[in-house]
Amino acid sequence: MEPRAVMAEPIIDERVIEACRQGDREAFGLLFEAYKDRVFSIAVYSFNGDEAAAGDVAQQIFLKLMTTIGQFRGDSAFTTWLYRLVVNACIDERRRRRRFLPFGESVAASRIEDRRPQEKNYARAEMADAVKAAIGELRPKLRLPILLKYIEGLSYEEIAIVLGCSTGTVGSRLNRGHKALAGRLAHLRGQVSE
Amino acid sequence: MFSNHIGKDLSAYCHGELSPAASQGVAEHLIGCQRCRVEFEQIKLGVKFAEQLPQLSAPNSLWNEVQGLINSREVSARAVSIEKSSWASLFQPQFAAIAATLLLAAGLGGYWFYARESRPFWQVARLNGAPRIGATVMNEKGRLAIGEWLETDGASRAKIDVGTIGQVEIDPNTRVRLLQTGATEHRLELAQGKMSAHIWAPPRLFFVDTPSAVAADLGCAYTLEVNKEGGSLLRVTSGWVALQLKNRESMVPAGAACETRSGIGPGTPYFEDASEPARLALAEFDFKPDDASGSKTRALEVVLREARPRDTLTLWHMLSRVEGKDRARVCDRMIELAPPPYGVTRDGVLQLNEQMLQLWKDSLETVWRDNLPSPTKKTLTRIWTSGLGRIRGLQGKR
Repeated sequence: MEPRAVMAEPIIDERVIEACRQGDREAFGLLFEAYKDRVFSIAVYSFNGDEAAAGDVAQQIFLKLMTTIGQFRGDSAFTTWLYRLVVNACIDERRRRRRFLPFGESVAASRIEDRRPQEKNYARAEMADAVKAAIGELRPKLRLPILLKYIEGLSYEEIAIVLGCSTGTVGSRLNRGHKALAGRLAHLRGQVSE
Repeated sequence: MFSNHIGKDLSAYCHGELSPAASQGVAEHLIGCQRCRVEFEQIKLGVKFAEQLPQLSAPNSLWNEVQGLINSREVSARAVSIEKSSWASLFQPQFAAIAATLLLAAGLGGYWFYARESRPFWQVARLNGAPRIGATVMNEKGRLAIGEWLETDGASRAKIDVGTIGQVEIDPNTRVRLLQTGATEHRLELAQGKMSAHIWAPPRLFFVDTPSAVAADLGCAYTLEVNKEGGSLLRVTSGWVALQLKNRESMVPAGAACETRSGIGPGTPYFEDASEPARLALAEFDFKPDDASGSKTRALEVVLREARPRDTLTLWHMLSRVEGKDRARVCDRMIELAPPPYGVTRDGVLQLNEQMLQLWKDSLETVWRDNLPSPTKKTLTRIWTSGLGRIRGLQGKR
């Protein structure tokens, strides 16, 4: 195997992806390690902090990833292909669960509030919890671009590919999402650094 | 002047997504437009809040759950592919009435079927002598149910079909027990004796418990032998096997072997063509109690001195099993034999940085796979030294 640079996560290059397409379980393990936290994060925020639901959907996403990676032709970046899978899985699962959960019921916002990370900086933890709750209250249409931007760090163009819309729409949805966050968290204005 | 407000571009402006010209246009507009400035402050605040959004950590159990799903799916797919053709014919329109009748019959027989299937078993075939399942001497064929022992005496042998994923041959004087068989796990206990496994399942679907370690199949063929003291010897002939006990794990590739001891677990894997002094020293290093005479240090010296590039398999495992100066010596010897890839530093390895160790292992696997049989190797070496090396003027150089 060729030399690879060390980062915080395994580097996923074309060979790893090709190995996954050949059914190499170790390569898939690398892929899983590289993306598990981001996929799980997006799932958690998509399900209003319901980690059990997020775990279920993350399992399905990785299962689908393994079984359909042969369909990835390299026409787009792997990450955009993966996140399209993630977004579609989250939307499908939400749609499925909506039958059982009344619209607007935010099981999770309260769960998020309840979970206090043991961070030294209490104020920061409180801020993170508040932001998580506010994100959970956004409509999926506004929430997904924010998650793809701030969790995954995708560009507008990549977000547009993942969501199947134009970059202008991405900008517009992010605008609305930012405004909604600013409105809902206005009382914490003094706590964000200038 | 301000008929074209720039509100729609403000997030893109904050994120640097606009072209230089467009960005300059927004900046100039903001200087003169109070309305857009207010909106800009709002967007900026939203961006700052969004930047506080933490990335969460996936639960540790997620990988096992995903693997379980994949395994069960693959096993199901295999079963379905076997039966697909016969099932497909049942869905032809002309068979609709028959199918309905069969469905009814199946429903009536459901309880019987469920009861039967709820007692999983493996098929066993007698190869020689008189193997026993429990207290019963088996005929040509037998069933090994969960919890039952299969035993062979000095003259008998048997073959087990491990569900649909492989076969295990049981040598004379061996005791095995079926612990689990299902879509996500097949588990056998080898209490004593010798077995040979040939498994074509996805990794970590077939396990063998021994008194001193668990052998996890990673898609392979191997033999496993357990002695009366509970120690075992694993020899891998293709693929990989992982030997585990608590936090200690040895990854054993084709051509390599690994011993285990009760109360200690797996030793360090080694290639079977390693030198005799190296193998003896390794056994001392792995299993002799540490004493004040420095015998372990001397054993380590022998292992390091005798190591070839391929024996970095052994040295790689040793890195996390020695400390301080010994770890530095192992690391330096590995660097001599097979330099690490870009991104792997000596300091990182000495601190047992997991990613660096994994990267180095990945790059070493090509060296470890160099598994050509000796005659072929000799032939290639002869070709090189007699012809190609001379042509290039490189003979004798490395």
